[in-house]
Amino acid sequence: MAMINRGPRELLTQVQQAGLCIGCGSCVELCPYFRHQGGKTVMLHDCDLPEGRCHAWCPKTELDLEAMAQSLWEAPYTAQGLGPYLSVVAAQAGSRLSGEGFQAGGVVSALVCAALEQGLVQGAVLTGGQGLDPAPTLARTPEEVTACAGSKFTAAPTLAALNRAQEQGPGPLAVVATPCQTAALAQRRAKPWPGRGNAGAPELVLGLFCNWSLDPQGLASFLAQRVDLEHIRSMDIPPPPAGVLQVRTDGETLEIPLDDIRGLIPPACAICPDMTSEWADLSAGMYEGRPGWNTLVVRNEKARALVEGAVEEGWLKLDKFPAANLEHLTGAAQGKRLRGLRAAREQGLLGLSGEEGEAALRVGPQLWQAVTDGEVA
Amino acid sequence: MAEQRRTMMGNQAITQGALEAGVRVAAGYPGTPSSEIIQNLADAAAEHDLYVEWSINEKVSLEVAAAASLAGLRSLCAMKQNGVNVASDFLLHLAGSGVRAGMVLVHCDDPGALSSVNEGESRHFARMLELPQLEPGDFQEAKDMTKWAFELSEAIGNLVMLRSVTRLSHASGGVVPGTIPAPQGRARFDHHGTLLDQGHGPVSSSPVGLKHRRQQEKLKKAVELFETSPFNTYAGPEAPELLVITSSICNLYVKEALALLGLAERVGVLKLGTTWPLPPKLLQRNLERCERVLIVEEVIPFLEENVKIAAAEMAGEIGAKRFHGKRDGTIPASGELNPDIVIKALAGLLEVPYQARPAAYDRLAGELAPQATQERELAFCPGCPHRASFWSLKEALALDARDGFICGDIGCYSLAMRPTGYGMLKTLHAMGSGAGMASGFGQLGRFGMDQPVMAVSGDSTFYHAVIPALINAVHQKSPMSLVVLDNSGTAMTGFQPHPGTQANAMGQPVPPVDIEAVCRSLGAEVTVCDPFDLEATRRAAVELLADQSTAKVLILRQLCALSPQRKGYKPYDVWVDQDKCLGDQCGCNRLCTRVFGCPGLAWEKESGKARIDEVICAGCGVCASICPQGAILKSERA
Repeated sequence: MAMINRGPRELLTQVQQAGLCIGCGSCVELCPYFRHQGGKTVMLHDCDLPEGRCHAWCPKTELDLEAMAQSLWEAPYTAQGLGPYLSVVAAQAGSRLSGEGFQAGGVVSALVCAALEQGLVQGAVLTGGQGLDPAPTLARTPEEVTACAGSKFTAAPTLAALNRAQEQGPGPLAVVATPCQTAALAQRRAKPWPGRGNAGAPELVLGLFCNWSLDPQGLASFLAQRVDLEHIRSMDIPPPPAGVLQVRTDGETLEIPLDDIRGLIPPACAICPDMTSEWADLSAGMYEGRPGWNTLVVRNEKARALVEGAVEEGWLKLDKFPAANLEHLTGAAQGKRLRGLRAAREQGLLGLSGEEGEAALRVGPQLWQAVTDGEVA
Repeated sequence: MAEQRRTMMGNQAITQGALEAGVRVAAGYPGTPSSEIIQNLADAAAEHDLYVEWSINEKVSLEVAAAASLAGLRSLCAMKQNGVNVASDFLLHLAGSGVRAGMVLVHCDDPGALSSVNEGESRHFARMLELPQLEPGDFQEAKDMTKWAFELSEAIGNLVMLRSVTRLSHASGGVVPGTIPAPQGRARFDHHGTLLDQGHGPVSSSPVGLKHRRQQEKLKKAVELFETSPFNTYAGPEAPELLVITSSICNLYVKEALALLGLAERVGVLKLGTTWPLPPKLLQRNLERCERVLIVEEVIPFLEENVKIAAAEMAGEIGAKRFHGKRDGTIPASGELNPDIVIKALAGLLEVPYQARPAAYDRLAGELAPQATQERELAFCPGCPHRASFWSLKEALALDARDGFICGDIGCYSLAMRPTGYGMLKTLHAMGSGAGMASGFGQLGRFGMDQPVMAVSGDSTFYHAVIPALINAVHQKSPMSLVVLDNSGTAMTGFQPHPGTQANAMGQPVPPVDIEAVCRSLGAEVTVCDPFDLEATRRAAVELLADQSTAKVLILRQLCALSPQRKGYKPYDVWVDQDKCLGDQCGCNRLCTRVFGCPGLAWEKESGKARIDEVICAGCGVCASICPQGAILKSERA
């Protein structure tokens, strides 16, 4: 694949100063220069290295979708569907999973526990914390895993915890990641960086469905006018047609219309072409119309083995995923992809192969033509 | 018995003059180039029964010295040019009220701003406040004129200003010391007379009309004395081609220039020691000598303008003259002078060919000098706590990510405006101005400003001028943060004591005033950290920035690396593990030497790795905290 590697100064200008940083934490803890604080990734000191992992692995520097697909999937990127998968099933946590606070069926927590038990990984990088304070966490036991359950709707520097954990060398790790974070991890797989410590691709990537996230500082300011931030315990966005963000505090649930918070969506989300974490080993998300269940996309053999083992061990229960639901899910994913690619092109952030300059996303001219002609709808 | 000629620094000569005059009280605030005057007097305090203090600021020091004068004891006050601005409020009143026993204000200017952030000209205060101004022209005069200044002060009943400059204060020359009298006189403030009785009544510049007229009469008396003062001298032919009028250290530059150019027979030099008010008869006698006049002085054309005014007034007697100096560009309008500059001016005016150095020498020196000298930024010392402080503050501001900034003021930490201090200071003005400006910036949130603001000050500066600014910030509810860089001494000027120290200028024990307690008493929230603990300091600073609801103070306390308590003591042995150091392959691209930049850390070209320069490393151990590879190690020394 195309290897456009630059240094931290370019990361600063192309991503952070351009407002494209999503705060995934990919560049944090790799070196002394980048840190994450209060929802922002910042460069502490000037680093003049001409090339760096920070730039190479950032999901917003230049994600060459077709080259990445060839490198990771050994298949072309078609800009269609859910990305590669072996199966799509309905799933919910089995009886082995204890605890509370799971989003929908608790499938992600259950799979992480199963991966730990199977010895596939020795730890999992999760997003813990409460309310508006997501905290990247390395979990090593089922109890530590379930303590991180629940969706966080703000961008979190989860991958910083991966970098930190890898420096300590605990063995193979799993990462539960949003689409942008799975893209960052895919960059690692596609662009290994030998001779720079232990940081690299994790053993297992569990992707989450995501349409957008919210700017942490912006959301905090927004909510602070409506509720005592210290009392927030969890947040949720129920399936359509609810159209609200539910904010649960110690004593009540506040419902905020999504239209009121759309202005807090970071610009980086607008150009994201991925709803289902297509670069992950398997992906989980909402199952619209079936409370207590998740949609689970099993993308490769490693994931299939994990899922089968999880079912056998009582961590997971599966059910069929109706074709109508799959069609609906595919359409939603396709809609986000097309919106993201078009928005990126309109903003000058989608480069076509052969074009001069760098871009946040890159595809070949033929694929772009197909997108604009509506042939990939 | 008079001693033999000795080599004395200018400030030492001034001290000697004050002692010979029988000074009993001296006060000041440290500031280069004036600092040694008070220090020398403090050292002599026990032997000569003096009271000497480093006051909290220049205004207070002038007030302390004035009290002594009013109680009948000769007193001296010393400060640098900036200090005169600080003292000027009281100075204006004192000029109006007058003094009793002889009182001299020694104000030391810093042409070229060698140790300052401005090259302010303080002679204007003499004219503005209508006080006599003296300027010694060499080291002997520095001593003699200081002694005479006390006599003049008593003769006219008012304060006398005596100006030195860096190259007089800090250079050395031959001085014949005189006898220091035994201490005499008992302090007593007589206040039972009338308001108009300067010798016995209450002291005030009121009634203003009468006192102002009286003050001007004092100046007239001073001028009469100046007419015959031995400190105003003329040297040269009776009718020179050019008359040079000069004063202060420029007198020596002119002498050297004339000697080198061989112009002693063509040029006359009127060296003025009494530069305000100018004695008109003396001036007329000398202006009559020739048609062309060159005025050589630093910093602004003070003498030049006053001479021109005088010449205009006596134009009927002396006719029209042609003046050269700063106004026509013959002498540079700013910066420090030196003999080369004067040579150039004289050679040009008198059309004398002169080559200071052969062109070949200049070329060779230009080629060789860079090879012989190590290129180095003006930097914090190895082990300086300020480097660690600004490192953490820089990280905190970056983490805060709201484009916050730091307002600074005068002290060693002014270096933080430069790359070696990570360019952290965004404003730099007077003592305490960082806190005052931060107090102002803090109020601008109502106009949409969303950047957090910090101020830094040293511990000495905190007492000097920050306390009122902090009170203002607390009272006005200004959301600002003050970081007191407490290195436990007035480090920049030589560790003079301040109100936080446990001994006064004379070495006697005094109760220290605790900065933390002062801040708390003012209503500010206070946190104290050791700046060498980078993580704790950064965390504290981040919290400070995050919650700027009120004025808060972070005290970063760590001894100056050069402080007498720390000198020669290394807390840690520090070394680089050459196996762990990734050298040129380091992913952080030399954070240690390229970014952190302590001079105690060196990068060896041969090995391509970092090493500790044992000779200059102060053993603070901070660098061990910044190496991401953990290759810099430290162990506590026994």
